[in-house]
Amino acid sequence: MVKHIRKMSFFFLLLVAGCDIRVLDPASETGRRIEDLIGLSFWMMMLVLVIVFILFIHFIKKYRVKDDSYVPPEEKENKWLEISWTVLPIILLIILAIPTVIATYNLTYKSEAEEDSLKKEGLHVEVTAGQFSFTFTYPNGKESTNQLLLPVDREVTFTLTSKDVIHSFWVPELSGKIDAIPGKQTHLKFTPNQVGGYQGKCAEFCGSHHAMMRFTTRVVEQDTFTEWMDK
Amino acid sequence: MNLPVIGKVPSDVVVAWMVMLILGALTIIFLSKKKKWSLLWEYMRTTHHRKIGTMYIMAAILFFFRGGMDALLIRTQLAVPQNDFWVYQGDKYNELFTFHGTVMIFFVAMPLLIGLMNVAIPLQIGANDLAFPYLNAVSFWLFFAGAMIFNMSFFFNAAPNAGWTAYAPLSTDAYTAQVNNNYYIFGLQVSGMGTILTAINMIVTIFRLRAPGMKMTRMPLFPWSTLVTSVLILVAFPVLTIALTLLMFDRYYGTHFFMSEMGDPVYWQHLFWIFGHPEVYILIIPAFGIFSDIISHFSRQKVYGYKSMVGAIVLIAMLGFMVWAHHMFTVGLGAFANTFFAITTMMIAVPTGIKVFNWLFTMRHGAIRMTTPMLFSLGFIPTFVMGGVTGVMLAVAAADYQYHDTYFVVAHFHYTMVGGTVLGAFAGIYYWFPKMTGKKLDDSLGKWHFWLFATGFHLTFLPQHFAGLNGMPRRVYTYLPEDGVAIYNGVSTAGAFLMGISMLFLLYNLYKTAKSKEKAAADAWLGDGRTLEWTVASPAPEHPFEQVPYVKSVDPFWFHKRRIQNMPMGANPRPSPVSVKTIQPLLFVLTISMMSIAFIYHWIWVEIIFGLLVLMFFLLRTLTDERESVYRKEGEA
Ligand code: HEM
Ligand SMILES: [Cu+2]
Ligand SMILES: [Cu+2]
Repeated sequence: MVKHIRKMSFFFLLLVAGCDIRVLDPASETGRRIEDLIGLSFWMMMLVLVIVFILFIHFIKKYRVKDDSYVPPEEKENKWLEISWTVLPIILLIILAIPTVIATYNLTYKSEAEEDSLKKEGLHVEVTAGQFSFTFTYPNGKESTNQLLLPVDREVTFTLTSKDVIHSFWVPELSGKIDAIPGKQTHLKFTPNQVGGYQGKCAEFCGSHHAMMRFTTRVVEQDTFTEWMDK
Repeated sequence: MNLPVIGKVPSDVVVAWMVMLILGALTIIFLSKKKKWSLLWEYMRTTHHRKIGTMYIMAAILFFFRGGMDALLIRTQLAVPQNDFWVYQGDKYNELFTFHGTVMIFFVAMPLLIGLMNVAIPLQIGANDLAFPYLNAVSFWLFFAGAMIFNMSFFFNAAPNAGWTAYAPLSTDAYTAQVNNNYYIFGLQVSGMGTILTAINMIVTIFRLRAPGMKMTRMPLFPWSTLVTSVLILVAFPVLTIALTLLMFDRYYGTHFFMSEMGDPVYWQHLFWIFGHPEVYILIIPAFGIFSDIISHFSRQKVYGYKSMVGAIVLIAMLGFMVWAHHMFTVGLGAFANTFFAITTMMIAVPTGIKVFNWLFTMRHGAIRMTTPMLFSLGFIPTFVMGGVTGVMLAVAAADYQYHDTYFVVAHFHYTMVGGTVLGAFAGIYYWFPKMTGKKLDDSLGKWHFWLFATGFHLTFLPQHFAGLNGMPRRVYTYLPEDGVAIYNGVSTAGAFLMGISMLFLLYNLYKTAKSKEKAAADAWLGDGRTLEWTVASPAPEHPFEQVPYVKSVDPFWFHKRRIQNMPMGANPRPSPVSVKTIQPLLFVLTISMMSIAFIYHWIWVEIIFGLLVLMFFLLRTLTDERESVYRKEGEA
């Protein structure tokens, strides 16, 4: 039992030292929204975990017997206890559900109506996934494979599809993932806020070399980006 | 490896052939030397619930070692970055995790639980056998044949390779044209049929064969969870059957359910998870039942909140059908669908929490004794709660955009499935072992088994949460040093081998107990049994309840022993199920297997011939009724 406590503190430590962990050290507003949600759900769940662990250890310590003849009197249910461990979790979950709903509505993006205006104002990239690479097509027709270049502080929208099986587009530091499905279009939107290089990966199992289906994302200054686009 | 005549074969398959030859020869020698052939023949024809349950469990333990070996191979390949272990890169690795996942779910977790149900349910409710003993034998052999068909694939170098979820269109003939995934379809179809029949058998047994006085509200919690699970199976498994049939049509007959303009690959995901999510509750609810009975037994206290325990499993089961799309948050179903399924998923946490608190408060004011089954049950509580809280975190749809398909998810479901189902099955095996064999497993070896397993488990799976958060997708055969996940994977591999070692303690325990002459008492665990199975001898006789007690409360035997309430015995008012010795179920299943193998390899004529033979068996069975003569005799007497 003590073992478990020690393990949990290990969990804490790693999380505090979590600044190197990609999902917890995002470089975009989208990533930060998700990180906040992860943090909120994590600490709420830690609260539950700690309560259960304390009761667990306490009861085992207190009610463990060596005396074989001891027969405890029969325990009666306590209505208030039962109500509290039904109602309190419900309250806790409502507290978690509200930001979940808000964030899910904000971060789930369906372009349709806005597509045209986005092409004018923001940056729109078409992503075509195929075994085992990603092709990115920019508004001016420029194509690149496994190399995604994005300007900093500008909103990018993506439309994704696949040539063959299902893949999933994922840059952990910038945004959650979205699947690329043959015969369908899916959409994603985020604004990178930090210049730098980020790993991108296919996250949906797609065949022999799924593990090798990676791409690099470089977020650069606007000038560098324009220069690259015109090359 | 290039072999004469056969051609190119991967070296791991060749090694497997040689190992099988040696083990096969050793088994034959052993059986002949010990004169065990007649025993084998006896078990091949049995329809008795205890023997069938024992076979389920033995087979499941065998497959546990098979799937566990895959797990160790996976972990060896992932031990260090850019590893090149043996042949396990690319498709070979994909076969490895597909095999591991499918075997563990369908041929380990399911039969372990169904085996325990077979052994314990009739004894706990005061029945002489399951309602349909013949059907029960058919179920077992269907499961076993399905598992064998699936296992054959590896020996013919054609192991399925599209993951245990077999997502279309990867699993259709356009992308995996070889026979590999045909094995997946038919292995699961055959064993799934067995599972559905078992569910029917359990439901009828529990409704029809309870001891007099045992109202539904006086039934122990394991039968309750079995009943609820069986209903889940009855609804969920046919969906899998349908999904597999459609996939078969796509692969065999040129339809396009899951591809092209008219079909849609996402249909597969819906069908699979409408089955798949209830399936995970099928795996956990029986374990809940086992833990309830064991914790109450070794706390000398009745289960706290019996009614809310029953209510909670029913609620979990119902909610279980409304959450399937939480596996599909990144498919692009839209914000409304995602929030709907996020909230239904969170709701499941409430009844689950109620159960956890009820277990905790069963121990409060009790008298806790640390036997091996109790130790496994106690290990379950913190482990499962950790898996449960990551489940709630995963339910946060927007956050799941990050977690989905990463090692975070791998960690989560192993916390629930190993921490819940597997610990539950081990607890149940130690607990009811006296009823199966008449002996008790060694307690101190059992404790070694537990501690090594639990330590190894947390070492293996705790670091995987961080690997996932640091960007490691699941189902990848390698990673790079700069990914920053090497340390987590290294620890994980070490933990996996510790779990492997712990299983040797179970094997040695089984061997040692088989040698020992010590007999277990009827009320085998400290004389503290509460329910009816502890009133009958260990091992349970063929007809345990010729005289059946009248049940007046939830824990009748306990109150009887405490002299709070008597437990009058009377003649069993219900006709016993009639068991027979027959080789028919085995032969029937062999023909079905032959038909399936013919389908796998597209041998049309063999399909037709064995298809007709299968129909003949149906006809034969329709025309025989072993109960007729028995009941007539009883009527005359
Ligand atoms: C005994 C120790 C075990 C170890 C070390 C282990 C290890 C692993 C690993 C590393 C993976 C990920 C493979 C990948 O994504 O590339 C995996 C997948 C999986 N495991 Fe286990 N596992 C164990 C036991 C179990 C048990 C008992 C079950 C079920 C009752 C189970 C069910 C699964 C499933 C369903 C998958 C997913 C397979 C897929 O992605 O298609 N595992 N396991
Ligand atoms: Cu992929
Ligand atoms: Cu689910």
